[in-house]
Amino acid sequence: MNIFAKLQNIDRRILYLLVALVIIIPLVRRPAKHPHTIFKEVQNAYNTVQAVPNDKLVILSSYFDAGTVAENGPQIEVMMRHLFRKGTKFAVITWDPVGAELVSKIGKKISKQMGKKYGRDWVDLGYNPGPVYVIISGMAKDFQSVIKQDKYGTKLADIPATKNIKSAKQIGAVVETTASGTVPTWIAYFNMPNNIPLVYCPTAVMAAEAYPYLDSGQLKGMLNGVIGAAQYETLLGMGDKPTYSSAASWALSTAHIFIIVLLIIGNIGYFAANRAGRGGRRNG
Amino acid sequence: MANWLSAHTSAITIWCGAISTFAIYSVLYAENKFYRFFEHVFIGLASGYGMYVTWNEVVYPKWWKLMVNDGQWYWVFAAVLGSMFYFMYSRKHAWVSRVIFGLFMGLGAGGAFREFYQIYFPQIGASMKPITGGGMTVWDTLNIVVFYVILFASMSYFFFSFDHKSSAIKHTAMAGRWFLMIGFGAMFGATVMGRMTLFIGRFNFLVNDWAPQARSDWSSGIFRALVSLFALVLIVMIVRAVRRPKAKHE
Repeated sequence: MNIFAKLQNIDRRILYLLVALVIIIPLVRRPAKHPHTIFKEVQNAYNTVQAVPNDKLVILSSYFDAGTVAENGPQIEVMMRHLFRKGTKFAVITWDPVGAELVSKIGKKISKQMGKKYGRDWVDLGYNPGPVYVIISGMAKDFQSVIKQDKYGTKLADIPATKNIKSAKQIGAVVETTASGTVPTWIAYFNMPNNIPLVYCPTAVMAAEAYPYLDSGQLKGMLNGVIGAAQYETLLGMGDKPTYSSAASWALSTAHIFIIVLLIIGNIGYFAANRAGRGGRRNG
Repeated sequence: MANWLSAHTSAITIWCGAISTFAIYSVLYAENKFYRFFEHVFIGLASGYGMYVTWNEVVYPKWWKLMVNDGQWYWVFAAVLGSMFYFMYSRKHAWVSRVIFGLFMGLGAGGAFREFYQIYFPQIGASMKPITGGGMTVWDTLNIVVFYVILFASMSYFFFSFDHKSSAIKHTAMAGRWFLMIGFGAMFGATVMGRMTLFIGRFNFLVNDWAPQARSDWSSGIFRALVSLFALVLIVMIVRAVRRPKAKHE
């Protein structure tokens, strides 16, 4: 077997091992350097959240579970940091039972780090089984008749952060952190009819499909996977902090470069082998 | 025992996570029983946990408690409506399930109609962009011209009502096909990025949570004995798997 044929038949297990090695280095070293390039949609997401008046509530909707927590976790974390920092109250609502626990843990961790208090600065509305469009269209009209209590059974009317929330009029923005196709539902039933800005935090797989919504203004901003979260951290002034998002961005970049190199090597092998085959036939 | 468990909850959780991660990723080497076992564990856990949360956070506080404790007896009708779904398993009484399915289909269809005009109408409007004016630079104009070229070329690819015999339509549709392929390529790039991030997430857990835990646990003699035993079992399993003759395909 010549070298070109070998290049096309590298054992996939060797490739997996090499990808693992390429990824592991930035994770061990934890570079503090964040991306300097900020995508327009990330900047718009930041501006949208920043512009929410502090007397309004932000809804952090999450529809992900353990499978995509590596992408969606940093997104919701950075949003919580921003809202805590600017003093805007928020309510977390989750549409997945496993995700409900994960988001709750993230909320508790960030509020503890930033010295914020549950009930005064944020509320966990817990898991809601949906259907999403029924719940959110009801929330827009009469918030507390649809969502009566928080995750721990306390009535929303008794919680300082939510006692004045009656309808969509008191909602400043919605941030949808999702691994599922729920954003059209928010647009159609909550944000467009009530003219409330919507920020989208999808997994990277789903991000490409969101650009028409950004172009039409139906989405005010977007955090594209974990890269979006890392860029948002830069905007929050965390550019010199060694966070998971920054390490993941470096790991992603190195992994992408490695995959591109593998693609080039594979293609060189393919074309060279084809050429050698044609030459062989011609000579024979 | 209970005290020991509560003192070591964090370590046990990290170790369970690490063993599960290794088990699931072992499929990258080859299909094996270790992977299958943990796959079933995950499915069972997710289902069980889902049922627990659904009862605890939804069914009990929003239905059972209201009906039984708070005297709102009329919530019993929710159970009647919900149980109608299960008549689909009876050949004789399947019509009962069709009533409730029909109700939900109607609700869904109405919702889809509303979603359609709220989603696509603004996008159609946003596609009609002015080429000049309003302080637009040359680059803005060029950007919008590129947008129009790609929009019309891509749409022409989907004109299936007539043959693409005319040279203009044929070449425009071909260009549209190329543009679509470039779009799909970009989407696939994003897919690779997403999948890689999930892998990075697990690696991050192994490197920054499990590795320090394992380093601190290594000082314990009982722990070293347990790890040695586990490694021995694993080696025996691998050796047996390698020695096993491959099944012949007749």
